[in-house]
Amino acid sequence: MIFVAVGTQFSFNRLVQYMDEWAVSDENTNNETVIAQVSDGDYQAKNIETQPFMDGEQYNKNIREASVFVSHAGMGNIISAREQQTPIIVINRQHKLGEHRNDHQADGIKWMEKLDGVYTASTREELYAHLNNIEQLKTADTSVVGSEQLSNYIADFISTGKR
Amino acid sequence: MSKKQKVLAIASPGGHWIQLNKICNPLEDRFDMVYVTPGSQYSSAKKGSRKIVNITDASATSKHKLIPLAFQLITLFIKERPSAIISTGAAPGAIAFLLAKVLPIKTIWVDSIANTAEISRSGRMVKKHADLVITQWEQLSNDEGIVYQGSIL
Repeated sequence: MIFVAVGTQFSFNRLVQYMDEWAVSDENTNNETVIAQVSDGDYQAKNIETQPFMDGEQYNKNIREASVFVSHAGMGNIISAREQQTPIIVINRQHKLGEHRNDHQADGIKWMEKLDGVYTASTREELYAHLNNIEQLKTADTSVVGSEQLSNYIADFISTGKR
Repeated sequence: MSKKQKVLAIASPGGHWIQLNKICNPLEDRFDMVYVTPGSQYSSAKKGSRKIVNITDASATSKHKLIPLAFQLITLFIKERPSAIISTGAAPGAIAFLLAKVLPIKTIWVDSIANTAEISRSGRMVKKHADLVITQWEQLSNDEGIVYQGSIL
């Protein structure tokens, strides 16, 4: 199963359409089913299951069970994918297509792609290239996942650090 | 038993806020956390047991809002008497740090993970004033006090 999520703020019809068309294309050689959280998008998907929103438990379960998580370029989803040990492909919303208020997601994918387990795409072709290579997509190295060290360091500084 | 130290955690909405929560939620056992954010995204004030205070937003393009923001922050410092302030950015956190400089409040800046090539603009603004400056990218740490201790991911 491939899980797709566009966030809760805006729709992202373009991504849903890409996934809807990919699902029935010859490129989907494993016959992966696709489940998508689509916010209030009005694109009518024909080949994949869509829901506007889902509760947190279902959402995390879908991320955990997916062979790959396809997401808008949102930081929250990157964190979740790493926690659930699922590779993630992020595609940026584009301001010029009316998909966001600005183009910060285009800047976002530039740092996101430096993380292991994170794959980025700006176009349909780039997205499909990753999907057609699903078995090669890797999850983040568990030894480097997590912010415990950072939080502990800050806590110790508050307790005992010098001004 | 001594009372827990109070800590203000300040961030703008979006990615800054997500990072702030990731860092600060585990601190809730050790400290009395008060979350501070511009806008009305959490106008319900208390989400579960968490205390969230709304403040005015300000940025380089809305300098006229600096005065009400500064006033709100000073009021907050007097009311909450925090031992420390943590911020991941952007402008409102930086303003809070500048105001806290003359007060007995430790300031901890965690630069956003989105800044891979250099420290953010607001981070550069507070660099000389903060008690601790943390980057989330090892290559941006240096001998002049920019610390790397892992990232929120």
